[in-house]
Amino acid sequence: TSASGPDNNGEPITVFHDKDNFNVKHPLANKWTLWFTKPPSGKGDNWADLLKEVITFETVEEFWGIYNNITNTGELPVKADYHLFKSGVRPEWEDSQNKHGGKWAYTTKDRKGVPIDNLWLHVMLAAIGETLEEENDGEIMGVVVNVRKAFYRIGVWTRTIGKAVPAGDANLAGGQGRTAEQGKEVIQSIGRKFKLALALPDTEMVEFTGHTDSAHSGSTRARAKMTA
Amino acid sequence: ETAKSVEPAQPTPGMRSLRSARLLQLQSETVKYPEGIQSPNPALNQGTRRSGKVYDTDFLLQFKDAFKEKPSLEWDDKLKAIVGDQDGNKSAR
Repeated sequence: TSASGPDNNGEPITVFHDKDNFNVKHPLANKWTLWFTKPPSGKGDNWADLLKEVITFETVEEFWGIYNNITNTGELPVKADYHLFKSGVRPEWEDSQNKHGGKWAYTTKDRKGVPIDNLWLHVMLAAIGETLEEENDGEIMGVVVNVRKAFYRIGVWTRTIGKAVPAGDANLAGGQGRTAEQGKEVIQSIGRKFKLALALPDTEMVEFTGHTDSAHSGSTRARAKMTA
Repeated sequence: ETAKSVEPAQPTPGMRSLRSARLLQLQSETVKYPEGIQSPNPALNQGTRRSGKVYDTDFLLQFKDAFKEKPSLEWDDKLKAIVGDQDGNKSAR
């Protein structure tokens, strides 16, 4: 649309052809918003004020422009988080689209020697590239990385906790409905894909918990419902 | 010098291209990627609704060195306000 810009109608020119004069960009299946949790200052600030929207994007090129110009996870202070969620979903379990859901989580045993930047990058790429779930699953809400004193945790948030879904719910199962067994298998399959994205050895586990369970028990690790 | 400093900063050619580029239709368009660049996995991009928008990690990783433009001219200030200046903290010590 820009008069001085590159030819928008001709042969597709990608960033690989000319990074300064390209005329096409690669669309993502979803629009995504990156959020950041600032560590509390210790002066009684509430969590909602610490959670900030950074930017929303919908192309592969935009993602890399952001990734290449933002602080690496490994350089963040303790108690910081990045959240990458589908646009319109707040990265909180109270959000109407999250409140019946849960998350797969991988918690590292230490922080030293953990290639956290690479792990987080691969999980983000699996999310935006749509390889964490099958077409029409409708489960993935977002991914998150937590920086804590003694560990890192990476999570994948899902819309459900693997239950039966009635037909006609357009968000899930392509509106076709699911049995309880199918629901459970969808969540298990996401756990396996998450593990694959992290390239974890068989000896390492990822754990699934429902948000309501972890909110009530006060600990994410207290009530693991599934493992992969 | 003085005149230069009052001129507003201009977006880079890469920023301008990002803004004006159209969305590729991978389902119906064939892109001839330069030699050495692997196309999106065709198996992931056949079929239905999200077709043409599913990308395997190897395809996506190729962009890492290919596109490094900041999202906007105001990006550094925005980032400093939201995320904080981690590098600045370090060098100040």
